[in-house]
Amino acid sequence: MKDKLGIILGIGIAVAVVVTLIFYILNAGNIELSEIFPIFIVLILIVSAFYILWDRIKNIKKGFPAQDERLKLTNYKACSYGFIASIWSAVGAPLISGIFFDYELPGNYVTAIVVLFGGLTFMISYIYLAWKGA
Amino acid sequence: MKTRIKELRARYDLTQEDLARMVGVRRETIVFLEKGKYNPSLKLAHDVAKSLKTTIDELFIFD
Repeated sequence: MKDKLGIILGIGIAVAVVVTLIFYILNAGNIELSEIFPIFIVLILIVSAFYILWDRIKNIKKGFPAQDERLKLTNYKACSYGFIASIWSAVGAPLISGIFFDYELPGNYVTAIVVLFGGLTFMISYIYLAWKGA
Repeated sequence: MKTRIKELRARYDLTQEDLARMVGVRRETIVFLEKGKYNPSLKLAHDVAKSLKTTIDELFIFD
């Protein structure tokens, strides 16, 4: 029951992100080149999230648990890597922007970078560790 | 770490899926255990050993 609730919640969040992205693209007008990169990262995150959800549904249908102790450990490790990446991107993004591009990043840009970079690191670590072994 | 899971599984004619269902984990976890790429918790090691009618000492070989 808990597994199914988690999957339903995950699908709900993923669909909400897809809908938000579609609304953003439809109402953004001309999308600049600098905006394509974050959209691309969001797409990677959505595809990865759907892959993880599909994997869990497949296991439940076969009578296996959606998450066992190995996958929980994988999750913890990927979360910690994502957290570290978020912290470093919060420190590094304004510094790199200031030093190399002589441009002061607005706060909302830094927030977006932190969220996207942390999420991307989590997804890459999770899929790699689940495939290679935690 | 080496394990005798594959050998004992074959002895009792169990597939990886059968063993996974018996101990309540995913099949991939059994694959990683057999390859020695995952250190299980004490509980999982005990459950696997019990399912294969052996002891933890007999099942896991530390170099």
